[in-house]
Amino acid sequence: MAVEGDPRASANKSLGDAVDDLPIFNVDNLQSNIKSIYYSRTFLSIIGGVIAGIWGFTGFTGFIFYFIVMAAASLSLAAKAKFSVHAYFDSWSRILVDGIFGGLMSFVLFWTFAYDIVHIF
Amino acid sequence: FLSRGVEFLSPFLPSKGTKRWQRLQIRPLLFFLSQKGLCFGGAAASMAEDLVLDTAIRDWVLVPLSVVMVLIGVLRYFVSKLMRSHQAPDLKVVKEGQVILRARNLRAASGFIPAKSFRSRKTYFTNEENGLLHVPKGQSQNAQAQMFSDPNLAMDMMKKNLSMIIPQTLTFAWVNFFFSGFVAAKIPFPLTQRFRGMLQNGIDLSTVDVSYVSSRSWYFLNLFGLRGLFSLILGEENAMDDTQRMMQMSGFGFDPSRVIA
Repeated sequence: MAVEGDPRASANKSLGDAVDDLPIFNVDNLQSNIKSIYYSRTFLSIIGGVIAGIWGFTGFTGFIFYFIVMAAASLSLAAKAKFSVHAYFDSWSRILVDGIFGGLMSFVLFWTFAYDIVHIF
Repeated sequence: FLSRGVEFLSPFLPSKGTKRWQRLQIRPLLFFLSQKGLCFGGAAASMAEDLVLDTAIRDWVLVPLSVVMVLIGVLRYFVSKLMRSHQAPDLKVVKEGQVILRARNLRAASGFIPAKSFRSRKTYFTNEENGLLHVPKGQSQNAQAQMFSDPNLAMDMMKKNLSMIIPQTLTFAWVNFFFSGFVAAKIPFPLTQRFRGMLQNGIDLSTVDVSYVSSRSWYFLNLFGLRGLFSLILGEENAMDDTQRMMQMSGFGFDPSRVIA
């Protein structure tokens, strides 16, 4: 279940043409990389929600915790890609900010759930 | 059973009127809550009136509602898989797709062949007279128009829309019928007073903190929050996300002049 630790399948191949200079991305690898980022973020937002609820964060503290968790995830994903993001993705935004707000709803759901079960039981 | 029903319907528990064992539970819980109120300095004011909610609400409202929604999502996934009509792919569309794949491979591997052979292959594709990929300006069709004129795809989209709307409507009606009129959960962050009408539809007390929400808002919270969970347990293909469906749909209508941009 440790999706975050999955090795990247393989980097995309970026070969310059003789004619034009656009790097071509191997679509399958790029998509599988993006998918694994998405799974990591979803999983971490769920776990982060449960942790925030158990610890009893309320109000802004909880949201700050969520963004801390997401930033830590981005950092470790970048470290896993050896900081050469362009070998694995087509832009920095994929690995840094993509999917943060998608995980927010799951985080809030599990945060509410855990908080209620533990603290207002 | 009758006493359980009474407990279920009266979530605001004053100390009298509860059974003795619950009273014993409430006293340390209230003490704990008051301590927490003191610890959270700034938030103490908003948490001053901590309601004690019946544990039966946890057992019989929150958990069953979440479990039911997860199960309905899984059921809908399998039903949509079974009901998907198998379309025989159109020969012309498949041919075009293969030509595009070949051109894409050519572009990707162009570093490995001599320049002259690359150019000759390129003219084979883009030649003005009989090039395979050359589409005159006026003839390129919009992918969307192609999509909607094809009745099979339209039917598929209709079916997918329906399969999403019907379980949502049914579950919402069920929630409204059974779980209305009491406080169901407390959301851990404070909201403004404007949300009161939306989140506390069954609760008619206006002094209750807006954080205490009814089960209808728990239903909506589940609706949005379980999408991530579904993508984890059901794999990539589940009918929850609209944008994913749109992306899948647009992959079927090939527009040759647009793909090689």
